[in-house]
Amino acid sequence: MVIVRRKELSLSERLYLPEIVRGLSITFRKLFEKPITRQYPEEPLPKNEVTRGQPRLVVKDDGNIACVSCGMCEVACPAYAITIDGGETDRPIEREPKKFEIDMLRCILCGFCEEACPKDAIFMSDELELADYSRASLIYDLQKLKRPKSALQKRIDYVYRLNNRWRKSSSTS
Amino acid sequence: MTTKQVFEYTRHAPDHDDPVHGAPMKVNMGPQHPATHGVLRLVIELDGETVTSIDPDVGFLHRGKEKTCESLGWHKFFPHTDRLDYVQPLINNVGYALACEKLAGIEVPQRGNEIRVLLMELSRVMAHLIYIGTTSIDLGAVTIFFYSFRLREELYSILDAYTGHRMNNTYVRIGGVYADVDETVEHMVAEFLETAPPRIDEIEKLLTANRIWYDRNRGVGTISAEDAKRLSLSGPNVRGSGLAYDLRKAQPYCGYETYDFDIPVGTVGDAYDRYLVRMEEMRQAIRICKQALERLKKSKGQDVLVEDRRYVLPPKGDVHTSMEELIAQFKIVSDLRLPKGEAYHAVESSKGELGFYVVSDGTSKPVRCHIRAPGLMNVQAVPVLGKGRLLSDMVAIIGGLDFVMGEVDR
Ligand code: SF4
Ligand code: SF4
Repeated sequence: MVIVRRKELSLSERLYLPEIVRGLSITFRKLFEKPITRQYPEEPLPKNEVTRGQPRLVVKDDGNIACVSCGMCEVACPAYAITIDGGETDRPIEREPKKFEIDMLRCILCGFCEEACPKDAIFMSDELELADYSRASLIYDLQKLKRPKSALQKRIDYVYRLNNRWRKSSSTS
Repeated sequence: MTTKQVFEYTRHAPDHDDPVHGAPMKVNMGPQHPATHGVLRLVIELDGETVTSIDPDVGFLHRGKEKTCESLGWHKFFPHTDRLDYVQPLINNVGYALACEKLAGIEVPQRGNEIRVLLMELSRVMAHLIYIGTTSIDLGAVTIFFYSFRLREELYSILDAYTGHRMNNTYVRIGGVYADVDETVEHMVAEFLETAPPRIDEIEKLLTANRIWYDRNRGVGTISAEDAKRLSLSGPNVRGSGLAYDLRKAQPYCGYETYDFDIPVGTVGDAYDRYLVRMEEMRQAIRICKQALERLKKSKGQDVLVEDRRYVLPPKGDVHTSMEELIAQFKIVSDLRLPKGEAYHAVESSKGELGFYVVSDGTSKPVRCHIRAPGLMNVQAVPVLGKGRLLSDMVAIIGGLDFVMGEVDR
């Protein structure tokens, strides 16, 4: 326990004017410090693999998305942003989404969908800017969500690194 | 022909606008008022410029968080805890996680706790910086606002580098934290811990002996320790009145009992004391951070999440190869269940005792989730502290009590 010290004002502090000079000297010194203001649109925020931007669907090298429309991400989403309609496909994975929509206006970029996906089909990209003229255009469908794997590779590696390094695999309970 | 009109003032009917003899005047402060830090409406009755009664009207930011928890389920509530007291999301995360862990009876690995302590103390500094910035701007010191927000910006960069988000981090999980801190983050934190104290001193130099700050805070909103207890105040507000009550010492969690830090207490219990306590608390938080950082260097490579397939998701790679893990993944995501029972866990947030009371009937949805928000108790103190003061003192009182409406209305 420490008792905080209440200061009594000295004469010069009570007179106020000398204090103004002292305060201004602090302010004046700030003039020569390195400015930290970021000119935002021209000078974007630093982005790296840790950045949790909007979720995107991975397009594998063979041109298909990995999603099997299992609906895990839909269940995991706390904002009810994802809508999936699954269907059969002739590809070996047998199921694929006929409709996959993420309402970007609802999405809170929490990353739960990425965590929940058992097929590594959805990952958080570093795309953050979101602006448009109508609400409807911000409900992203399959076409708008697809990203080549190379664009998301850094994030995929990061997530795997986390999992391998910090969650040593073990048998289940 | 001109007539000369003679105005005659009569005193038959009371002149309601007369500040001396008129009826008491009702003033609405808020809901949209810059000094109420959110949307709080205060119906203030004035006699001249003296406040005779205050009626706080809360609920403008009510989003039904408790009910949301009951309908969303255990895990999905984490992003919502961020949005309670949005200046310190990680403390809220940890508070909720601790309540769930108490219910589930799981122990967080040591390194997980160290990271939690580090993040919580950084959040505390962040929250107090917002307090000092917004309160000083309300009382007319715009400079402090810029200085404190500049410092806070550095903290946000650290959180950005660690969690990927500046605000609303959602980085705590039942059983630990989502990811480990890496070297980059450790460097950033170490650098911050070096550069922050002189900057905090600078803020203090500009305020503590500042005649305006001094006059507007000294003796304003004085409350005795007894009254503070009776009003259920906690945190810096009760410590300002001289009661050394801090949950980190009183009911240690996350291993706080092993850290070396002091609880700052005031002597008088006015807004000035509360300010001094918060400034000292920032320094103590930095002290704790330094210790946590030391420990993190030692425990490198250890687990940050408990290995428990009932509550914690399996590693991503294993889900592809092991049927067991795949089933666990599906079960945890869709149907995370906590055992039947109830639990209450409180953490020392920057505003006071932040408690989560959760009741489970063994299913994936909580039966009840109650949030004991310290901010609500702080709002309750406004009528007590403001009565008999001048209207302009209200700003100092509200600022000094420091509440965030996101948590009060929840
Ligand atoms: S993205 Fe992943 S979790 Fe979502 S439906 Fe597709 S496979 Fe399932
Ligand atoms: S990031 Fe979160 S809110 Fe957004 S779609 Fe994924 S789970 Fe839903």
